[in-house]
Amino acid sequence: MNEQEDNALIARCKKGDARAFEDLVNKHYNTIFKMAYKWCANEKDAEDITQEACIKLARGLDSFKGKSAFTSWLYTLVINTAKDWYKKNNRHRSAEDIETASIDSQSDETLYAKQILAAVHDLPDTEKEALLLVHSEGLSHKEAAKVLKCKESTISWRIHEARKKLGAKFERNARYG
Amino acid sequence: MDDKQLDKILSDIDVPEANENARKRAVNLAVAEFEQYQQKKSKNFQGFPILARLMDRTNQNDRRDPMEKASRKKLVYGGMATAFAVVLVATTSLYQLSNNTVGTGSTVTSAELSKVQFALNEEKSGKNFSSIAENITTAIPSPWRGPSDKKAQKAETEADFLAGQSLEMADAEVASPVPAAPPMMAQKMKRERLEEGRAQVGSVIQPAPADMDSVSPRYQDEGRDKFEKAEINPFKQVSEAPVSTFSVDVDTASYSFVRRQLNSGVMPNPDAVRIEEMINYFDYNYPLPESREQPFKPTVTMMDSPWAKGKKLMHIGIKGFDLQGERPKSNLVFLLDVSGSMNAPDKLPLLVNSLKMLVDNLNEDDKVSIVVYAGAAGAVLEPTAASDKTKIYNALNSLQAGGSTAGAAGINLAYQLAEENFDEEAVNRVILATDGDFNVGITDREKLQDFVEEKRKTGIFLSVFGFGQGNYNDHLMQTLAQNGNGIAAYIDTLSEARKILVEEATSSLFPIAKDVKIQIEFNPDAVAEYRLVGYETRALKREDFNNDKVDAGDIGAGHTVTAIYEIVPVGSEATSVDPLRYGDKEETPAKTEEASDFDGEYAFLKVRYKLPKEDTSKLLTTPVTTANDAGSIKDMIENADNNSLMNDIAFSTSVAGFAQMLKDDKHLQDLSYDDIIETANKTKGEDPFGYRTEFIQLVRLAKSIDN
Repeated sequence: MNEQEDNALIARCKKGDARAFEDLVNKHYNTIFKMAYKWCANEKDAEDITQEACIKLARGLDSFKGKSAFTSWLYTLVINTAKDWYKKNNRHRSAEDIETASIDSQSDETLYAKQILAAVHDLPDTEKEALLLVHSEGLSHKEAAKVLKCKESTISWRIHEARKKLGAKFERNARYG
Repeated sequence: MDDKQLDKILSDIDVPEANENARKRAVNLAVAEFEQYQQKKSKNFQGFPILARLMDRTNQNDRRDPMEKASRKKLVYGGMATAFAVVLVATTSLYQLSNNTVGTGSTVTSAELSKVQFALNEEKSGKNFSSIAENITTAIPSPWRGPSDKKAQKAETEADFLAGQSLEMADAEVASPVPAAPPMMAQKMKRERLEEGRAQVGSVIQPAPADMDSVSPRYQDEGRDKFEKAEINPFKQVSEAPVSTFSVDVDTASYSFVRRQLNSGVMPNPDAVRIEEMINYFDYNYPLPESREQPFKPTVTMMDSPWAKGKKLMHIGIKGFDLQGERPKSNLVFLLDVSGSMNAPDKLPLLVNSLKMLVDNLNEDDKVSIVVYAGAAGAVLEPTAASDKTKIYNALNSLQAGGSTAGAAGINLAYQLAEENFDEEAVNRVILATDGDFNVGITDREKLQDFVEEKRKTGIFLSVFGFGQGNYNDHLMQTLAQNGNGIAAYIDTLSEARKILVEEATSSLFPIAKDVKIQIEFNPDAVAEYRLVGYETRALKREDFNNDKVDAGDIGAGHTVTAIYEIVPVGSEATSVDPLRYGDKEETPAKTEEASDFDGEYAFLKVRYKLPKEDTSKLLTTPVTTANDAGSIKDMIENADNNSLMNDIAFSTSVAGFAQMLKDDKHLQDLSYDDIIETANKTKGEDPFGYRTEFIQLVRLAKSIDN
């Protein structure tokens, strides 16, 4: 993602250029979708969330001030959308919802991964978002803190908590498996 | 569970290709929304001619705009949520009050409901609200509409969703008894908001102010407060810029504004936070100069930075001498905004009470005049001796709010009165009290600024007191006060008015030094990098320091001014920039030889000031050496037994830490709200008026809001 290109597009959008906005959404659709998918691990929901996020982007772009990279601002938007979406649809994520497209052969290792993934999705939102940003999107704690608008130490703490929970759940597996 | 394993599993989540149809649908919907939003936006803009006219001509497209819009938006959503919550109460009470005993689930037509509302309105609140009632006949909340009304449904969902966002607050509103009038108003507001806000819901939604005290049945402008945007000062290399220059600032407006925001449950707009004003809100016990010849004395303390390892703070404290009993005569002209927007309990009535307090404390031979401005400007009280309190009180009591804001005409008249009564011996000052803008007359900020500056040269100073929120034009207030050699204060409560106008009246009204500038030269052998904490809007050029034509801040009697530099000593690992590979290395040894005279010197402090009636500046200098070292905050508190100075310095750093947290915490590596509370608690001292205790409460509030 070329940041300069983004900023140029955004500047045009802010002047009301619908074409620029279309380009912007097209360009970032996949990014948004990926993020959404990681959040809910379910294609249908991810599509809905992505659509919602794109619409929010239309109204919310004005509040992007260029203080941070557009993509990290987008992370915030998508995570908020996803959370709201779940709230609105009053759904609880369950392990059944999680598709495991990545796991074809049910080897021990992949089975384990599947279980962990399910456990990750059972974590509280705050811990889940921190964990996904850092371990899945590869952000540093500092960058994640910016996205989630909290302190770096908070991120570290949440990840620590999340790992503790996952650890407690899988300790036995790890020992015997 | 180790890092790598987790990394692998999580980053290997195989995301399926996005469905092309879904993508197209989403893009189309988003673009449609975008176009609709743009249309609304341009419409809205036409709907705010005041805003349009106030744009500074020279920078129409400046960076403030997005900030202002963003902050406006937040309040709009908050307002919608409040409105929705209040509407719930309103509709429920309508059920009970009207003779229509409507069961749940049955529908009521809009016409019926509006009739009920209208009748109720006339009966309950009399003529004042009948015009509002007319406005709301169409503002029936969506639950009353048929299910086929799609737009309404959508709006409802939005409001629902927003209400959910600020559930706690909404609960509080619902639980409290709400008088008949606010729901009416709220419905009207809600309708307006829904129209403009429906298309605006963005990603950032904050809970609305839950401050029940400030909920009034009157029109409350929201989110149009104007602040100047200033990036926080960066670290500078001593090798590249060894000299730092700035003007003092004794304003306190920012602290009161931040307090108000926090008390109403929202984090303040970072642009509203001026770190130096937060620090200078408190009085510190810095030593006074030995002789009266010199109006103040700088006290410099070096200490370990409480928020970053390996860095130090250079704390400069200045206290001006206090006029004891011998306060000069004053010729005060109150210039009061009585435009329609001042019609709120926290504006005009608060202003009137504040001024009564001030008048109570004036000397008998002081002169007071009052000029008001709204659609037109006029003098309500010709110059009157402060001894004639009844006359002044009567004039104040007769004030009523209404009309637009012809501030500039008012300013002309006020200065004219001040000039007519100009007294060589006295302090001649115009005191401007307003909630926002000048939208009639000279509306060009620069022209106003020039005007005030011109008058300042004739010896008439200007102070600015800000009131209310929603349309508060902080930027203009600051500009005017700075150019008028006055203070800018923000009065949100009667106790704040007391602090400024009674306890600190001498410092607010009587300057002891003007155009006070501070310049620091850092010793490159001791300091690698430095950063001035706050004073972003007060930076001066290096050459301005010796130029007496360049205006700067003023210090009143007994005022304290605090400036804090964060420095990185040479050899510390905390430097932010790597040394230059191709830097001039050969010269360095020679330099050290020469500089050995300055061993142990961190920096050299220079202060320039003018006495109030003089035009040439005087210079104070002092070196800052290792002898000024006070160690860490902990050491300072431990050694503070009988030394309230150390306590005060430690307290001021905790305020600095808090202000930075609210504004931009990029330089704070290691500081939590709890650290601030702990330090402040230990160092608050006697705190006779409770300001420091209040500060600790604010930090606690911020902590809970921030989570």
